[in-house]
Amino acid sequence: MNAPETRPVLELAQVTRIHGAGGLAVHALREVSFETYAGELVAVMGPSGSGKSTLLTLAGGLDQPTSGRVLVEGTDLTAVGSAERAKLRRTSIGYVFQDFNLIPALTAGENVSLPLELDGVPTRAARAAASTALGELGIADLADRFPDEMSGGQQQRVAIARAVVGDRRLILADEPTGALDSVTGEDILRLLRARCDAGAAGVLVTHEPRHAAWADRVVFLRDGAVVDEAGEPMAAVRS
Amino acid sequence: MRRHLLGWRIALRLARRDLLKHRARAIIALVMVTLPVLAVVTADILIQTADVSPTEGISRRLGAVATAEVQIFEGRQRVTQGPDPLRDWVAGDELSRATTFADVEGVIGHRSKLAAPTSSELVVRTPHGREAVAAEQADVTAPLARGFYRLDGGRWPAASDEVVVNQAMRDRGVGDTLTIVDRDGTESSRTIVGTIVDATRRSGEVVVGLPGTLPRLTDDGMGQGWLVDGPPLTWSQVQRLNDLGVLVTDRHIASHPDDYPDSMDDGSGDSTTLQVAALIVVMALIEVVLLAGPAFAVGARKQQRSLALLVASGGTPAQARRVILAGGLLLGVAAAVIGVAGGIGAAWLLQPVVQRFNASWLGPFDVPWPHLVAVAAFGLASAVIACVVPAWIASRQNVVAVLAGRRGDAKPTRAFPVLGVVLFGIGVLMAIAGASGRGDLMVAWSAVVCVLGMVLLVPVVVSWVARAAGRFPLPVRFAARDAVRHRTRTTPAVAAVAATVAGVVALGISTSSDEKQNRESYTPNLVMGDASVTPDYGYLDPRPDRPTDWDQVADVVREHAPAARVSPVVGVGQTSTTSWVNVVFADPARTAEDEQISPSSSSSALGTDVVVSDGAQLPSLVASYFSADEGVAETLSAGRAVVLTSDASQTRLDQVAIHVETSDDDGPTVSTPAVTVPATVLYRPDDDVAPLRAILPPSVARRAGVPAATVALDVAQPHLTTEAQKDLQAALQDLPTPAGVYVERGYQADAYTRIVQWVLAALGAILMLGGTLTAMFLALSDARPDLATLAAVGAAPRTRRRVAAAYTFVVSFVGAVLGMLVGFVPGLAVTWPLTAEGYSGSDHVGPYIEIPWLMIAVVVLGLPLLTAVVVGLFTRSRLPMVARVG
Ligand SMILES: Nc1ncnc2c1ncn2[C@@H]1O[C@H](COP(=O)(O)OP(=O)(O)OP(=O)(O)O)[C@@H](O)[C@H]1O
Ligand SMILES: [Mg+2]
Repeated sequence: MNAPETRPVLELAQVTRIHGAGGLAVHALREVSFETYAGELVAVMGPSGSGKSTLLTLAGGLDQPTSGRVLVEGTDLTAVGSAERAKLRRTSIGYVFQDFNLIPALTAGENVSLPLELDGVPTRAARAAASTALGELGIADLADRFPDEMSGGQQQRVAIARAVVGDRRLILADEPTGALDSVTGEDILRLLRARCDAGAAGVLVTHEPRHAAWADRVVFLRDGAVVDEAGEPMAAVRS
Repeated sequence: MRRHLLGWRIALRLARRDLLKHRARAIIALVMVTLPVLAVVTADILIQTADVSPTEGISRRLGAVATAEVQIFEGRQRVTQGPDPLRDWVAGDELSRATTFADVEGVIGHRSKLAAPTSSELVVRTPHGREAVAAEQADVTAPLARGFYRLDGGRWPAASDEVVVNQAMRDRGVGDTLTIVDRDGTESSRTIVGTIVDATRRSGEVVVGLPGTLPRLTDDGMGQGWLVDGPPLTWSQVQRLNDLGVLVTDRHIASHPDDYPDSMDDGSGDSTTLQVAALIVVMALIEVVLLAGPAFAVGARKQQRSLALLVASGGTPAQARRVILAGGLLLGVAAAVIGVAGGIGAAWLLQPVVQRFNASWLGPFDVPWPHLVAVAAFGLASAVIACVVPAWIASRQNVVAVLAGRRGDAKPTRAFPVLGVVLFGIGVLMAIAGASGRGDLMVAWSAVVCVLGMVLLVPVVVSWVARAAGRFPLPVRFAARDAVRHRTRTTPAVAAVAATVAGVVALGISTSSDEKQNRESYTPNLVMGDASVTPDYGYLDPRPDRPTDWDQVADVVREHAPAARVSPVVGVGQTSTTSWVNVVFADPARTAEDEQISPSSSSSALGTDVVVSDGAQLPSLVASYFSADEGVAETLSAGRAVVLTSDASQTRLDQVAIHVETSDDDGPTVSTPAVTVPATVLYRPDDDVAPLRAILPPSVARRAGVPAATVALDVAQPHLTTEAQKDLQAALQDLPTPAGVYVERGYQADAYTRIVQWVLAALGAILMLGGTLTAMFLALSDARPDLATLAAVGAAPRTRRRVAAAYTFVVSFVGAVLGMLVGFVPGLAVTWPLTAEGYSGSDHVGPYIEIPWLMIAVVVLGLPLLTAVVVGLFTRSRLPMVARVG
C-alpha cells in the first residue's frame, strides 16, 4: 500500500533552523532530512522542545530554514518568494493545529472554503467544495455553525476539512488531538488516516505513541535531530 | 481585478463579523469617528443657516416682488459697481448734469416704481427718557413693498400720524402712542397701529411709518432708491445706468455674483482661505485618527490569531491587511452616515437656540450637501487612516509565533523615532521661520509637523516611563508596563491627548498674548468702574443756548446710581458752541518763540483738558494718574499750577506763562495777555496718553483770566449695569440740556474671542477625556487575563481600580506633558506675527507674550489627576476570576 511514487509530496533535505545568533542561538532543527509520499502518513515524535513544530512550520512555508531545502510537490520553498509560498498553502498544503484552528468570525463552511476563496475561486464554487469536504468528514450539518458553537472534536474535523479542501495533497497536523479526549482523538486520527489513504501525504506531530500507531512511519526527533526512523511501528495496534 | 474584489469580500465579511461580535469596541471606535462628523455637520448647517447668502439677503433688500432697485447717486458722478453695489462700487468722473428718473427709464423702459424704504435714526420718548432707534419709511401697502415687513398684529399705518413698530420697540414700554422727538427738540405723537416683524432686525427697535411722516436724523447720502418691477435687467443695462451715476441692485445679478465681473478684483484672499481650510482639515484628521486609533489597534490585536490562520491557509500579507482596513471602511461608512444624519437632526433642534442669541433673523434652514459629502468623506477617511498602522503591523506579525500562542509583534523599527526627531526639528525650524516673517500660516503648519514628529516619539517616551516605573508601587508599574507592551494601543491614546493639549496650549498662548496686547494697548478714559457725565446734545439742532444745568444732571445721576459719589469737574469749559477756548502754556523766557508746554497727547474724557482744582478733591482719574511722590495735591494747595510736558528739559521751570486764545472757524479771534504764574512742570514720555494737560488752582485760573466752570460730573463707582446705563442715558437725553454718560468698563475682551476660548477649552477637555477613557477601557478589557492571574495570587479587589487609575494617569499625564512641550513651539512662535506689529506710529514693538500658566497647569496636571481619581473611584473593583482565552 505504500506504493512509493516517483516524487515525494514533501521533501526536507539537510534542513537546519537556528533561532537567534551567537551565544543565544537555539538549534531548533539540525540537518533534518526526510520525505513523505502520497498516501503516506508520517508521525513525528519527540520530547518537548525537540523541534517538531518547527519542522511543520518549515514544511508549510510559514518559516524559512537557516540552511537546507524544503520541497513541496517539487517546488523548493526556500527558492520562491512569500507570495508563491502563500499560493502553495492555498493549493497544496493544509494545516491542522492543536486548537483554535478556526477563525471565530467565520462559520464552519466559510472556514473550510477560506483557502479557495483566498485563491480567487468564486464564492459559490468554493462553498460547494467546502460542503463536499464537510460531507466527506460526516459533518455536513455543521456548515452554518460558528466555531464557538461547536465542540472541540467538531472543530478539529472542520479543520481537517479545511486542510484537504480543493484536493490539497499535504496535510500538516501539529498535535491535532492534544486538546481532545481519547475517543474523539481516535476519531480524528481515523479521519486523517482516511485522507492519506485517499491519496494525500500527511505529517502528524504527536506525543502519544498510541497515535503514532496510525502512521506508516515514525520519525523521532531529539534536540532538533532525527534520531530514529521506524517503518510500520506497532502495526498490530492498528485495527 | 475579479480576484481583487474577491479578496475584499472576504476581508469585509471577516471585519463585519468581528465588529458585530465585539460590539463594545466597535462602538468606541464608531463614536470617536461619528462625533466629530456630527459636530462639524451640525456647526456647518447652523453657520450656513445663520449666514444670509446673497440670494437670501436680496429678498430682505428688494422685498418679495421688485426686480431691482435703482439708486441715483447724489454725488452726481459716474459709478462702477460689482454685481451687488452693497458689496462693492466706486465713484468716478463727475457728470455734467444730474440724472433724473426719466434718464433711468430711457435705459430700462417705463416700469412701475416705488420709493425704496429709507432707513435712518429716530429719537423717541420711552418711559426711560429719550432713545435713538431705527426708523424706516415706506409705502408699506404698495404691491412692490411686499416682503419687507410682516404684520404680526394690528394693521398697516394708513395716515401720517400712524406707525407700526416691532416687538423690541414695544418691549421698551411705549404703549399705543409713540412720542417722536424732532431735531429741534419738539415732540409729536404717532399712534401705533400694529406690530411688525422686520425682515432683518430681530432684537433692535424699529419704527415704520409712511414716507415723509418721520423726521430723518441721519442720511447715508446715497439718494433715494427706487424699486422697479418688470423683467430682470441685463448687465449691459447696469453698465449704462452706472454711466449715468445710478447704482443697480438687480435680484438676479446680485444673487449670482460669480457670473459677473467685480469692479475691483480681489482674488488674493482665496489661497489663504484654502490653506486655512486645508490646515483645519489636516489637524482634525490627525486628532480623529489618533482618537479612534486605540480601538482599531486593539481590534487588530484581537484578530491576530484569525489573521495568522488566514496566512496559514494561504492568505497573503496584503489580504491580512485588508481585513483590518475593511473594519475601518465599515466603521467609517457607518460613522459618516450616522454623523451626517445625526448632524442634520441636531442642527434642526438647535436652530431656535441659535436664533435666541442672534440679533438678526437667521436665513432659511440650509443643508449644504456638497459640504456634508466632504465631511462624510472626512469621517470615512479618518476611520480608514486610523486602521493603516494597525493593519500594517498586523500584516507584519510573526505568524509562527502567534500560532504558537506567543505575541508575534515585529520588532519596532528604530527608524521611526529618528524620523520623529527629524520631523520635530523641521517643525521647530518652520515655527522660527513663521515667527521671523513668514506669517502665522507657516506657524500653523509647523504645529502639524511638530505633532506628527511627536506621534513617532511617543513609543520611546512611553518605554522610558515604563523603565522608570520600576520603583513605583504595583498598580503604577503594571500600568506602565502594560502601556509599553500594548504599544499600538497606547501610542495613539497618548498621542491623541498630546495633540489635544498641544492645540490647547498653542491656542492658549496665542490668545492670551493677543489679549495681553489688546489690554496693554488699551487706554482707559477713567478709573475702572467710574463714570463721567458730559454734555451730549444728540441730534438736537439748534442746541440749547444756555449752559448745562449740572444740578439737574446730578439729580438724575443720583436717582439712577444712588451709591455713586458725584462730584463736579471744574475746568476750562467752552462758553459758546460757535467758538472755542484754548489755554496756552509757555516758557516765560521764550514766549516769543511760540514754544508751548504740552504733553504729546491728551484725552478729555473729563470734558476738559485743563482742570481747575485746589487739590482737595481731584477727580479720581486725575488723582490716580499722578504718583504720590509727584505731590500734585500739595502743589495745588500751595497755589502752584501743575503742567505736563513731553520735553524733559522744561521740567526745570518753576513758573509758566499762561494766555487764553479764543478761536472760531476763521482762526484765533481774541488772545489775553500772558500772565506768569508759579508752576511745577512734570515730564511725560511720548507714548503716554495723559487725561489732561494741566491743573490750575482757582486763584491762578482767576489771575490768568481762564474761564472756569463745571464741565462734567465725576461719578465714582456708580455700579451701573449696561442695561441701567442705557436707562440713565435715556433719562439724561431727556433733560432740557441733554447729557451723556460714559462708564469705564476697562478692556472688554471681544465676546466672540471669549466664546471661542471657552469652546476650545471645553472641546480640549472633552477630547482629552475621550482619548484617555477609551484607552483605559480598552486596557482594562485587555488586562483581564493578567488581572485574573493577579487575583489568583491573592491581589486585593481594589487592585483593579488602582491599575485602571494608574493607566489613566500614565496615558493622560505623559500625553499632556508631551503636548505641552509641543504646543509651546507654535504657541510662542505665533505671538510674533500676531502681536509684534503694533499699530502704526506706536513705539512699543512686541511681541507680547503671555503664557496662561494656570490653564496649562489645569490641563497638564489637574485633568490627568482628576480623571485618574474619578476612574479610581468608579471602576468596578471585582477582579475577573477566570482568565478568558482568545
Ligand atoms: N522564535 C523562537 N526563538 C527562539 N527559540 C525558538 C523560537 N521558536 C522555537 N524556538 C526553540 O526551538 C526549539 C524547538 O521548538 P519547537 O516549538 O519546534 O518544539 P516542539 O518540539 O514543537 O515542542 P512542544 O512539544 O513543546 O511543542 C525549542 O528549544 C524552542 O525553544
Ligand atoms: Mg510544538
